[in-house]
Amino acid sequence: MSVGKKDISCPPEAPGTPLKDSDIKEKKVTYVEDHPDMRYAWTAGQAISRFLNELKEGKLIATKCNKCRRILFPPRIFCELCYKPIDDWVYVQDTGTVQTFSISYIDPDARPLKEPIIVAVIAVDGASKNMAFMHVLGEVEPEDVYIGMRVKAVWKPEEEREGSVTDIKYWKPMEK
Amino acid sequence: MFNEKIVNPNELRHWEGRIELYWIYTSGEAGDRFFKALKDEEKFIAAKCKKCGKVYFPPRMYCEFDFSETEYVEVSGEGSVRAFTVARLDKDEKPLEKPEIYAIIDMDGTDGCMVHLLGEVEPEDVYIGMKVKPVLKERGEREGKITDILYFKPS
Repeated sequence: MSVGKKDISCPPEAPGTPLKDSDIKEKKVTYVEDHPDMRYAWTAGQAISRFLNELKEGKLIATKCNKCRRILFPPRIFCELCYKPIDDWVYVQDTGTVQTFSISYIDPDARPLKEPIIVAVIAVDGASKNMAFMHVLGEVEPEDVYIGMRVKAVWKPEEEREGSVTDIKYWKPMEK
Repeated sequence: MFNEKIVNPNELRHWEGRIELYWIYTSGEAGDRFFKALKDEEKFIAAKCKKCGKVYFPPRMYCEFDFSETEYVEVSGEGSVRAFTVARLDKDEKPLEKPEIYAIIDMDGTDGCMVHLLGEVEPEDVYIGMKVKPVLKERGEREGKITDILYFKPS
């Protein structure tokens, strides 16, 4: 590999060739163009698809690995520890424990919220340790939330459910 | 039970979308000169470095080795096959009625090459080093694009 200054002379400047829209429209310069029709379908996969469909029925479903005996939630189709497909589907409860939480004063577009929302990671009863998912807490003031708090899902009325995580409105404290 | 491969995303919960995309790619100053000479004068333009003498095809404004300016030179457009491949399927993997021969063609009088189709020759008759010359579209049909060259045929 060469080291040090190379014996080259650069052009004093490379001014470029500015183009106007009219140069293109009037075909003063040559060009190629394309309008690719790019369509996509993003799928939730086998496990999450069933999970979402079960939410419509007001149920939380998980998957089970018979080798490590873990209950995977949200469900996965493959056990990442045993490196094998899971063995069965099992329902878990719509109650759980707050593992961690955060109080958000802004919405997803970073606009201030009138009322803060409490985002929490909830370990769902019936699933294995460290199996949890993220949702929001309700019917509780931010200052009253604590790690380890027992919560229960508040579902939308059946006719309003659409197979989405928002079919659960929020999770509320179980004790008064 | 869980091992079946699902190819069609519509079988599962899915979300469809569409990405709007529209682009124009201009040929640049040297490319513009090349395509205009091809379209209007049936000429092939290359660019020769004023310092090292390397002849660029397609033409460039500057030599990429010593950053010198280049000057435009006319070449014949004829060349020889450096490599080729025979396509029997189209881009959607459907069988082609007639196989297409794609070749890298070293352009005579230059240090450059281009990728284009070969025509008026059967795949089994093509060989590396075969001399070829361009066949252009009729004058009125040319639009300043690489497809103004229909194919290269044995010369």
